[in-house]
Amino acid sequence: MGVTRRQLLWAGSGIGAAGFLAACSGGSDDSRNAGSAGADGKPRPGGTLRVGALGHASAITRDPHGTQTNESDYLVIALVFDTLTIPGAKTNTAPRLSASWESSADLKTWKFTIAEGAKFHDGSPVTAEDVVWSLKRLRNTPSGAARLPGIQAKNISAEGTGTVVVVSDYANADFPLMTRFASFVLKKDTEDSAIEKAPGTGPFKLDWYRNGNARLVRNDDWYGPAVHLDAIEVTMFETPQAMANALIGGQIDLASNAGAVAARTAEAREDIQVLRRPDDMAMPIVMRTAEGSPFADERVREAMRLVVDREAMVKQVLSGYGTVANDIMGTGDPDYAGDIPQRERDVAKAKQLLRDADFDFSRTYELVTTEDIAGLADSATLFANQAGDAGIKIEVVKQESGAFWEKTWKAGDFYTTYWGTNDSVVFYASKTMVSEAGQNEAGWQDAGFDAAYREAISTDEPKRRATALTELQQIEHERSGYLLWGMADGIDLAAAKVQDLPKLAGYGRVQLEGVWLS
Amino acid sequence: MAAPGAGAATAPRRAGTTAWGVAVRVAGTVGRRVLMLVVLLALVFAAVELLPGDAASAAAERGESAADLAERRHLLGLDRPLWERFADWMTALPTGDLGTSARGQEVTELLADPLPNTLILAVSALVLTVVLSLLLGCWAATRPHRLADRLVTHTSTAAFAVPEFVVSAALLLVLSLWTGWLPAVTVTGGDGRPTTWTMLIMPVLALAIPQTGWNTRVVRGALADQAATPHVEAAHLDGLPPHQVMLRHQLPGAVPAIATGIATSTGLLFGGAVVVETLFNYPGIGAVLAGAVAARDTPLIAGVVICAGAVISLVLLAADLIRDATLGARA
Repeated sequence: MGVTRRQLLWAGSGIGAAGFLAACSGGSDDSRNAGSAGADGKPRPGGTLRVGALGHASAITRDPHGTQTNESDYLVIALVFDTLTIPGAKTNTAPRLSASWESSADLKTWKFTIAEGAKFHDGSPVTAEDVVWSLKRLRNTPSGAARLPGIQAKNISAEGTGTVVVVSDYANADFPLMTRFASFVLKKDTEDSAIEKAPGTGPFKLDWYRNGNARLVRNDDWYGPAVHLDAIEVTMFETPQAMANALIGGQIDLASNAGAVAARTAEAREDIQVLRRPDDMAMPIVMRTAEGSPFADERVREAMRLVVDREAMVKQVLSGYGTVANDIMGTGDPDYAGDIPQRERDVAKAKQLLRDADFDFSRTYELVTTEDIAGLADSATLFANQAGDAGIKIEVVKQESGAFWEKTWKAGDFYTTYWGTNDSVVFYASKTMVSEAGQNEAGWQDAGFDAAYREAISTDEPKRRATALTELQQIEHERSGYLLWGMADGIDLAAAKVQDLPKLAGYGRVQLEGVWLS
Repeated sequence: MAAPGAGAATAPRRAGTTAWGVAVRVAGTVGRRVLMLVVLLALVFAAVELLPGDAASAAAERGESAADLAERRHLLGLDRPLWERFADWMTALPTGDLGTSARGQEVTELLADPLPNTLILAVSALVLTVVLSLLLGCWAATRPHRLADRLVTHTSTAAFAVPEFVVSAALLLVLSLWTGWLPAVTVTGGDGRPTTWTMLIMPVLALAIPQTGWNTRVVRGALADQAATPHVEAAHLDGLPPHQVMLRHQLPGAVPAIATGIATSTGLLFGGAVVVETLFNYPGIGAVLAGAVAARDTPLIAGVVICAGAVISLVLLAADLIRDATLGARA
């Protein structure tokens, strides 16, 4: 930013830019603005934050336990209702409505203690019965099995008024992680017809909601830390372009998850902050490891990982808004093995490995992709070009989303996938890589990996767990079915006056309760 | 307006000019249009079925098993035959029930605010189109082959040739991002309407400019045809002032062609609304439709189609009546 400003001054247009900036931040209190933007800035209470979030009018979902594809809907729900846990910075799972949790020795029984003083917006206290009812309701939706994996509705129960007991069908060291996104708590016996006006327990109360747009006001009785904003207004945007235009035009203060294209436009502007939340999205290429797949031989998979030009992928597919990755999923985990040497491009070695493995160079391999998220199809195309340098012929096939998830996903030999939860190595291991994983995308079966995984989740002792996790990541780096070339940043754009914006990836983007306006 | 009375008083004229005849013709036209709408809706149901994927797979979350997906299909009624779903939807229609979206929202509720918003947008654009194209067309026609005429003709052709999204982008850049005169996008308030009326200006212009181009050509052409008719030439030879010839003699004869041109524009305006609403984040049915198709949400798509179809049918009907009335009066 400093360089840009100097360049501007040098070019003689600095006065205009500074004037515009001052006008945007309210003129007279410009000096205070400059001071409060520093590290020691004390949050200033009050004000209304106008947030833009993406969503489609056709996909509006009001039910906290429904499938919210609209970021606008999820944002509103996440501010009005509380989940048991939320994504955290120091540990990947942080307390919210559940102040603490503990497991039994066999890691099957989990007990969640409800936060002291937690109340619904109508003033009634949150009881274990409410939480049990909500979790059961969530479990009984079509997505329930995916959202509360290994938990049957009958195994969710209350212990007294302040504790909820959940018993898993199998040992699951990271169950609390699964309660971060969808375990929204409503009052027991809320009718489906009353869902839209149901009181939540969150930092904001619903003032009004209409067609994807909403106004929320501060909940002064919230049990959590102080909330500074008086209100949040959410405007739904069909496209990131319209959202960025609204920010530039001063109609909103924050464009949530605006994406790389909008960020590139905004980067040149002094009056807009570009906030990058690293490790937001993984877009790995999946190579099926099972017999009969051209990638069954681990030397072929290694060659593919050597042939990719990671820097070029990040630069071109993500417009530079991202980081190079090392074929290990869960890059945002505090336990991520950053000391494993970065795999670099080595076309000669890749060719040698392919020759050793009797790889069929005459064949054209189909790489199946979708246009579900920005950059995904581009990543496939660019990779296909890069693989051409080693004589590998790849044809990119774009598939319609529904058909892809029903037919190609988990079954295809060679396809792109994407994941938005990237702060846990164990999450991926349990969900997509251990032999029996329900979403084993590459059909990977590796005794060494399985052993390391079981060791990691079965121990509470930090040192043993750390050793097992390093082992697990080393094996994943060497021979899994994933080629993870990089990680996309989550990108928020905001007016200069908005402070303490969310820093965490993925669903962490909705944590607006700490935001304040200078 | 004097047509039916005059018709009844004189010779046995075309059936369409008696009051009873008009009613029969209107009923026939309405019947045909309703039938067309039903056929159109059947096509919509069939077309969505032919698209890859369905509402269940579009709404499903990763990690849902085949059984979960089957349950979702069952909840949405997708496991029933297509004709049965269509029949159900059609029989509920007369009661004003448009069904439930794939995400469990009432379709009538999803369209309750967007439909009036689109109507405001489309009607404003249509009014602007009619006024501008009549003014420009008449102005050009009173100066045939002179500079003004050529200018209007070429500009209107160019305007019609430019797609809405290009017009939108240009307007956005000039009127908002560079000058800051108008809000860049529409922000919707708690009443479901744009928070300021100025948010309507750019979307209305983006829709009206191409359609004005088209209709100016229609007006200019129809007036040129009329200029060549004997009674207009006679009026000129009688020494009537040009504007009087235009208003009293030339324009009335051109009305049927102009009405048809404008009626055609109504359909195009609704089509353009899909693009323009998305670009300006305007909360109308165009934006709903775009998303509904992506989500394979048949009840929602059909809901948008029936609303837009009904409106367009009414406009076409009005155009038919105007044409009949004017032709009847002059037959």
